[in-house]
Amino acid sequence: MLPYAAQMATRTEVRTSLSTHRQAGPLEMVAEGLGELWSRRRLVRYLVGADLRHTSSNTLLGEVWWILDPLLQMAVYTILVTVIFQRSVADYPIFIFSALVPWKWFSTAIEDAIGSVTTRDKLIKQLQFPKIVLPASSVLAATYNFGFGLAAMGIMLVLLYPARISALLVLIPLVAVVQFALTFALALFAAAINVFFRDLRNVSRHALRLWFYLSPVLWSFEAFFPEANRTLRLVETVNPFYPVLSAYRDLVYYGRSPDWGALAAVLAVSVLLGAIGVAFFKRLEPAFAKVL
Amino acid sequence: MSAIPGGPAARDPAATDPVVEVRDLGVQYDLRFTRRTTMRGWFARLLHRDGSHRRFWALRHVDLRLEHGDSLAVIGPNGAGKSTLLLTLAGIIRPSEGEVAVRGEISALLTLGAGFDQELSGGDNIGLVGAFLGIDGRTMEGLTPAITEYSELGAFIDAPLKTYSTGMRARLGFAIATAVQPDILLLDEVLATGDQVFRARSLVRIRELIREAKAIVLVTHDLEFVTELCNRALLLDHGEVIALGEPAEVVELYRTRTAEQRARQEAEAAVIAAGAQAGGGGAEGAPAGGSGASRA
Repeated sequence: MLPYAAQMATRTEVRTSLSTHRQAGPLEMVAEGLGELWSRRRLVRYLVGADLRHTSSNTLLGEVWWILDPLLQMAVYTILVTVIFQRSVADYPIFIFSALVPWKWFSTAIEDAIGSVTTRDKLIKQLQFPKIVLPASSVLAATYNFGFGLAAMGIMLVLLYPARISALLVLIPLVAVVQFALTFALALFAAAINVFFRDLRNVSRHALRLWFYLSPVLWSFEAFFPEANRTLRLVETVNPFYPVLSAYRDLVYYGRSPDWGALAAVLAVSVLLGAIGVAFFKRLEPAFAKVL
Repeated sequence: MSAIPGGPAARDPAATDPVVEVRDLGVQYDLRFTRRTTMRGWFARLLHRDGSHRRFWALRHVDLRLEHGDSLAVIGPNGAGKSTLLLTLAGIIRPSEGEVAVRGEISALLTLGAGFDQELSGGDNIGLVGAFLGIDGRTMEGLTPAITEYSELGAFIDAPLKTYSTGMRARLGFAIATAVQPDILLLDEVLATGDQVFRARSLVRIRELIREAKAIVLVTHDLEFVTELCNRALLLDHGEVIALGEPAEVVELYRTRTAEQRARQEAEAAVIAAGAQAGGGGAEGAPAGGSGASRA
């Protein structure tokens, strides 16, 4: 064991080895990160295009999968809940689908973002470019997929549930903006942390699954557990996806106005978290090339 | 010579400011975080923490000044810190210590085809790599026909990159990387790729770039190249500067050093071989140093 004073010394040394000489303040870093995203938007566009090409190549049906995939998943969950668990909810397929499509957007965005920096290890050691474009393009590529999911939802509404179509559907993009902010913030943390701890990928798979079951995709308090006690209801306030997914469902399934106050709160937290995320990412960025 | 009072206004090529200035540069790697780091290993090391052997200096106390028109060759054995120096000049790795100041547009030819995407077409890859390099869209569009022509891809330019041969990929990579004339050019053994014809052609282009550039830093194992193309040479070993000066002298020093080292290694190998041949008896006596010496 080292004496305490020596431990202190080594610890401060670590900090200098990670830091740069002109250490920018956190706000400066946020401005710098967002500026880089804007000035490199062409690069982001190319990366999103390449990402989409990757997911659709080497498959027989190509882009059709973007529509087929959520539909098949919905079919599986519908069978699970209505046949195996014997729960009956009116128009259950669209009940699930209205929350499943946004959830898939989130989970694919995070899963892609986790590896967005580490899989490009060679590139990072060869070219100097702002690394923040990598998680950003992962999230944007997933957003593109989300668009296809929404298209599938539109088809489903027109063909099977025309009675549920309302003018409120045009408000979906507003909810999507809130979700985008939240997703982008978390993607930045995920991408940066995974550079240093590769276990994050393993952890995230299970964390996302647990989060999925704690989010109102297959269920909601209103439709399944109306008399849940206050401890259980904590999920509603702690999980930011509770108000977000409920809002989609309000617009699509119930045809009613969502809880805008709760959404505004999620947006505020997401923007703050996003700013911290950009600063966090920028702070660790100089170390990427050495660690990879 | 016009004396410009030092400052950011020194854009004039005749300025007396150095093009590249490196002061007491040190780059330290932290071995606690490597590509294999997992949380388990990290926690294990937190428990029995010893920090002393977890870091090493890839470069230390490097001072360097490149004036307008200088071309510097960096030589040294493997692991000397040559590539780290280039990566630091390119801005890919940040210094842990000291300062690096570069005045002008810098371009690094470190690996051909960095940034390529297998699924995109050759044409789209030109755009993608251009975007990675930070070249603006309109400039890149203007350069695209010349790049396409130089890389001799013909109709393949619209095919996905995964259908390309190694040579085609190298040609395209080289064409993109050398499309823009940089002020400061960093080269890392890029000439070793491609077929004979292309290598000769790329050498012509490299010489053109060298002629036009304000300053060049070249990492190479080809010592002929050093004396032919460069006016200064830097010898590195174990992250430290051994010599900096006239190419011919530095190359000579490097040659004698490697010869000495080889001789030393051969001598050591001979000693080990002799010890093995002498058999068990000698080896047993060796730890008791005193008795061995008195016997001799």
